[in-house]
Amino acid sequence: MPTDTHEFIDSLVDDLQPSRPLTLQRGFVVAAGSAALTVGVMALLVGFRPDLISGNLNPVFLLATGLFLILGIAASFTVIGMGRPQVGNIHVGWTWAAAMAALLPLTAAVLSLARDGDVFVQSQPAQGVSCLINGGLLGLIVGGALTMWLRRGAPTSPEQAGLLTGIAAGSLGIFSYSLHCPFDDIFHIGLWHSLAVVVSAMAGRLVVPALIRW
Amino acid sequence: MIADDATMARLMALSQTGDRQAYATLLAECQKWLKRFYARRIVQHQIDDLVQDTLLSLHRKVASYDPARPFLPWLAAIARYRWVDHLRKVYKADETTFDEGFASDDSEPAIVARISLDRMFSYLPPAQARAIELVKIEGLTIAEASHACGQSESLVKVNIHRGLKKLATMIEKD
Repeated sequence: MPTDTHEFIDSLVDDLQPSRPLTLQRGFVVAAGSAALTVGVMALLVGFRPDLISGNLNPVFLLATGLFLILGIAASFTVIGMGRPQVGNIHVGWTWAAAMAALLPLTAAVLSLARDGDVFVQSQPAQGVSCLINGGLLGLIVGGALTMWLRRGAPTSPEQAGLLTGIAAGSLGIFSYSLHCPFDDIFHIGLWHSLAVVVSAMAGRLVVPALIRW
Repeated sequence: MIADDATMARLMALSQTGDRQAYATLLAECQKWLKRFYARRIVQHQIDDLVQDTLLSLHRKVASYDPARPFLPWLAAIARYRWVDHLRKVYKADETTFDEGFASDDSEPAIVARISLDRMFSYLPPAQARAIELVKIEGLTIAEASHACGQSESLVKVNIHRGLKKLATMIEKD
């Protein structure tokens, strides 16, 4: 780095390239586009569950899928905002969506206390692992898009940005895979679908900060 | 005289289109603004380096500024990030003089007061703020700081560690 500030400024000016600002509209396109692509890839690879097409839907499925979608949207928009720093920004809105989504594993845990029989078996572990893996893999589309956004942006808290990228990726990944998964049981959703979000959040927290460059 | 927010926002919008003349003017204004912003919150002889670090971050992150928003809160967020990063790296400074010419004055616009570094310090517990000020900003040793503020040496270290960690979480806090 040149020691003389004027010389330093001149070198920055020489290096200037036109750049498209990271506007909110562009952020929405990135978030919505990657989420739509995730659903499209799921539909192409494994297809929608039959009752989704017939319209005869289970209430637990609707509630759970809706909660993951809301959490995914809230986390995505928070990440979009974190790429555009400004003193006065507040990044807490997603916590309410996370609290709502946490009702799913909490409900499963409460019901398991009063339930006779093996709740773990009832959660369909074989299918559950498949949901965990496929939901996580689908989430890579959203996770990749948001990470690219953060690399271009200037997140002042890379660790939190990484965590939220993971939450957004996991939530929208499992939301997409829920449109295929035929199980509506609260123990299956509360354990395996929620676990996909938790694992993705941990991965995001560990991996994404290292990919952000200042 | 430093340009106002509207002028700097206009210059930045032009810079994003590749206008080098506007960019040169903007960087010169930012350099003056940053020197004032960092005054009394970093050892005097390190200000130029920190200002250059911040200008380099600004340069790399030009796209993260949205012309629809005010400019100075964006610049302040980057400056605060760089400042906290700098405090984490600096273990001991050997000079404690400040340039009084950059001291903040009462006529400072409200927006600058809201985004200032003093504002960040105000959110810290007094013991943590004092420990950081003495060691990271004034350049005292841990032993000297301990003597000056009456905290044990280990408590000074703990307060610095906790304070810097907390500062890093409130860079965008108003």
